[in-house]
Amino acid sequence: MNATPPSPIGSGVAQPLPPPTPSSVAPTFGGRVRAIAYRIGPFVPALVPLAVVVGIVVALVSAALQANILSSVFSFHWNPPANQWGFGVFLVGSLLTAVPALVLSMAVGLGLAIASTTYLPRFLTVWLDPFVDLLAGIPSVVYGIWAYVNLTPYFANDFNPWIHGHLGFVPGLGGKLPSTGGTGLPISIFILTLMALPITTLLIRDSLRSVPKDLWESGLALGATRWEVLRHVALPYSSRGVLSAGLLGFGRAFGETVAVAMLIGGAAVIPTSFFGATDTIAATMFSLLDSARNNSHFLSGLADMGLVLFAITLVVNILGRRLVTSLYASEIAGL
Amino acid sequence: MAAATVRSASPALPPDDVLTRSSGRLRWRTGFDSAIGWLLPLLFVVALYPILELVYYISVQAVPTLSWTVLTSTNPVAVDALGVPIITTFEIMALATAIASGLGALGGIATAEFLPDQAAEVVRASANMLAGAPSVVVGYFGYIAFVLYFGWGLSYIAGVVTLSFFMLPYVFRTVDLAFTSIPRPIREAALGSGAGPSQYVLRVGTPIAFPQILNGIFLAMAIGVGETAPLVLTTTHGVLVPQSIYSPVSFLTALIWSDFDAGKVSGLQVVAFQCAFLLMIVVIALNIVVRVISARYRKRLEGLYQ
Amino acid sequence: MGVAIAIAVVLLLVGIGGGYFLNSELNKKSSSTTIQLTETGSSLLYPLMNSQWGPAYHAVNPNVVLAADSTGSGTGQSSAEGGLVNIGASDAFVTNQPSVLNLPVAISAQLIYYNIPGVTQHLRLNGTMLAEIYNGTITSWADPLIVAAQTGHVQQELNATAGHQIAPLVRKDSSGDTFLFTSICQMSWAGWPYGYGTGNLSGTTWAQYTGNSGMASEIQTTSYGIAYIGISYEGDTGTVPYAAIGDNLSLSKTGGLDPANYILPSAQNISYDANLGLSHLQYATDQMAINLILGGSYKGAINVPLAQGGTDPTGTNPDPYPIVNLEYTLIKLAPTGNVVTASALQATVLFLQWAISYGNWASTGVVSTYLSAVHFVPLTPAVMGYDQQELAEVQP
Repeated sequence: MNATPPSPIGSGVAQPLPPPTPSSVAPTFGGRVRAIAYRIGPFVPALVPLAVVVGIVVALVSAALQANILSSVFSFHWNPPANQWGFGVFLVGSLLTAVPALVLSMAVGLGLAIASTTYLPRFLTVWLDPFVDLLAGIPSVVYGIWAYVNLTPYFANDFNPWIHGHLGFVPGLGGKLPSTGGTGLPISIFILTLMALPITTLLIRDSLRSVPKDLWESGLALGATRWEVLRHVALPYSSRGVLSAGLLGFGRAFGETVAVAMLIGGAAVIPTSFFGATDTIAATMFSLLDSARNNSHFLSGLADMGLVLFAITLVVNILGRRLVTSLYASEIAGL
Repeated sequence: MAAATVRSASPALPPDDVLTRSSGRLRWRTGFDSAIGWLLPLLFVVALYPILELVYYISVQAVPTLSWTVLTSTNPVAVDALGVPIITTFEIMALATAIASGLGALGGIATAEFLPDQAAEVVRASANMLAGAPSVVVGYFGYIAFVLYFGWGLSYIAGVVTLSFFMLPYVFRTVDLAFTSIPRPIREAALGSGAGPSQYVLRVGTPIAFPQILNGIFLAMAIGVGETAPLVLTTTHGVLVPQSIYSPVSFLTALIWSDFDAGKVSGLQVVAFQCAFLLMIVVIALNIVVRVISARYRKRLEGLYQ
Repeated sequence: MGVAIAIAVVLLLVGIGGGYFLNSELNKKSSSTTIQLTETGSSLLYPLMNSQWGPAYHAVNPNVVLAADSTGSGTGQSSAEGGLVNIGASDAFVTNQPSVLNLPVAISAQLIYYNIPGVTQHLRLNGTMLAEIYNGTITSWADPLIVAAQTGHVQQELNATAGHQIAPLVRKDSSGDTFLFTSICQMSWAGWPYGYGTGNLSGTTWAQYTGNSGMASEIQTTSYGIAYIGISYEGDTGTVPYAAIGDNLSLSKTGGLDPANYILPSAQNISYDANLGLSHLQYATDQMAINLILGGSYKGAINVPLAQGGTDPTGTNPDPYPIVNLEYTLIKLAPTGNVVTASALQATVLFLQWAISYGNWASTGVVSTYLSAVHFVPLTPAVMGYDQQELAEVQP
């Protein structure tokens, strides 16, 4: 039987260790220095993360304000030679890749988590679950090169034409099929789903596991099937976990940089066709910084996009984490 | 009187043969449940097939071309000589891990043990914010702050420091978690026996939390070794092992990024696959280590409560 | 459990220690005087720098190593200006950076590739067609303007593609190839709205790829696509054919559709264009800032007059391939910062002196294998002389 320890984290109830009072050490100069060091000392390394976050904001803001581009920033036109630095296009592109990836990874993640907690025997889940979590560890360049070399022909020759042919009546999937050699939205969404999947699966799985056994058993004792207990008891109980899985998965997909840069093709336009070329904020920032060397206008244009990206991922991550503080968090320390 | 009312109010029991047959509705419910029980696990196949395909494809592309010569050659003008990138990646990781672990561990301990509650919450939130920041944003911070403002240029040191800031929050959070999850009875026993702050941290807390701390370091390494953006944006390409802190550097993820679409003539795409293969192995190994340690650690923590 | 941790810690220490040990061993082996010259920029020049000149020069001078990177001409220009690298490579000259020298080291060309199922021959294209395709005015390979210039057999093949859209490929990074391509579009078609420059196609709606390598990789898989790719990537484009480029007079009634007016990019034809252009070079006023694209004029560039009917009437350079350029290396005139140190600058000068002499010519009249491997054409003696003059201005 698994003895789960009582909620040990974030209890915040344990009092911080008291620093030695000046009278408890010898009232010498060295003693007083030590006392002050003990009071202030802990703050120094603890403030490093805060300093870095502040530093990020300061750096991006100072770069964004370097050149006077504010007038063109809030638009849907990105054309550096014409001094137009609108990030709107890339925001749409980021959403077009991240939202479908989120939906897909939530659907599959929900299914995997349910299967793992409710339907599969222990001897299978013991190795299947870590296997899915391993998906999170693969570096995004590796995903990118695999997809670029191995998958783009499949998307170009099979997947895209099939969808275009069979689902062409859906707005955005019809019209003339743009030829992109397999790069673009479909393959990017696929890879982002794979990258967000371990996060959603892990969080939903953990939140389902934290449903008290009594609730499960009382539901089953009343004659409900496992599915009915899930639907009426366990999932509503873990709705916060599911919501946070969605938020954190979205944050991952929205901020993903390198794999998307390799697979999206890229064009600073809002695509008229699902198979056409577009670009995301993170991918643009990554692939165009080289072009911004020694060019303060270009750097400003990229930095203000960075602020938008940082702000959105910040909000999403803070909301997402708020919802999981009650879970056994060491699992997700790595997320 | 009451018994008569109850007996007359309750419906007559159905005959025996009805009780042994399942009603249609029940059959549908249990059938649906079984169907789901077979369908959902199939999703595992859907989810895991791509990663198997990935590992297989990269191995097939890389392994036949790898040899001891390729892995150790430090010839600066050869097309396929991975000695320099491997050693440089090693060095970058060593330095960045040292910085991230040092700052992260100290910060985590300070937050868990010494900071007042509100300050601790603010610091924890900022660590979460930093962990959630996209790698390209941290890369921009490194570029603007270190390459431009500090004037280090596109250099080894700029890359290492930027990467260490990217890895920092993972160590920070794990150490923080490790120390806050030390069972209260043990903490109070130590303090009650007269342990001072440093004695508690060094002699009681660290030995208990040590596996978790090590785990955090390995986790940060697993994440750091696979990162491209923080390093690519702050360094420029080099062909020798770093000779000074301002040197150009070459490392595995950058080679993949620059060569993934290279043509046949240059023979560089093979190099990209070789680097991808090496990275994959390192990352998978580190992830397995992390998982093993955390599983053993959880058992140990449970043991502490008995 | 303790054993696992112990093993892990030991591995960690061994890893870190081993890495540093190896590093110090290696740094001892390569003498402390090894100079690493960092070069970044043009992807068109990259194969020459990385695969040909780098190894060859290292064999000649083992104390110097060239670290080349392919990031695009715009990045080469700005990195050189900012002192971030030793050598900035660019397909286009810079005119507004006084601290940087424009030093041509070779002559190269740009090819126009197209991937039309069924078409394996060299299409005949000119600047107007290219401009209209990239502007979106021409949407299909069956457009009358394109079809009219082809032979009968090819015309049939093109007309069969009427239902498919052309997919132009654009460079995402700041590219000298974009500079060259937009230059010829600007010169050829009055309705060209994008001007010319290293980033001037970023406002279009076409898919963008990074580097010549990205373009070469994608054109092979993009049906009905068209791409502008530097000649040093000729071997990386698989079976995708390139076009014979003509000037706009070849469209007119006088020039007509004479196939002689559409020139294929051979070493000979590239030389013809280079000779034609360089004959107008006035070093005193322009230094080495010269545009070799056939036709038109720019601020700061030499006007290469549009030859009658696309050919040179004097007959010495009869078949000039229109899209030709000098490959520039940009270097600082004086040491600055951590990267462009005095010794590095000196080594850079020596390397470039080797490059413009032995790197170009194996012996009198014989092109070096380095250039022929990337289909480049060597500098003329006059340019070599001017280069030496410029190198003498550098003060390490």
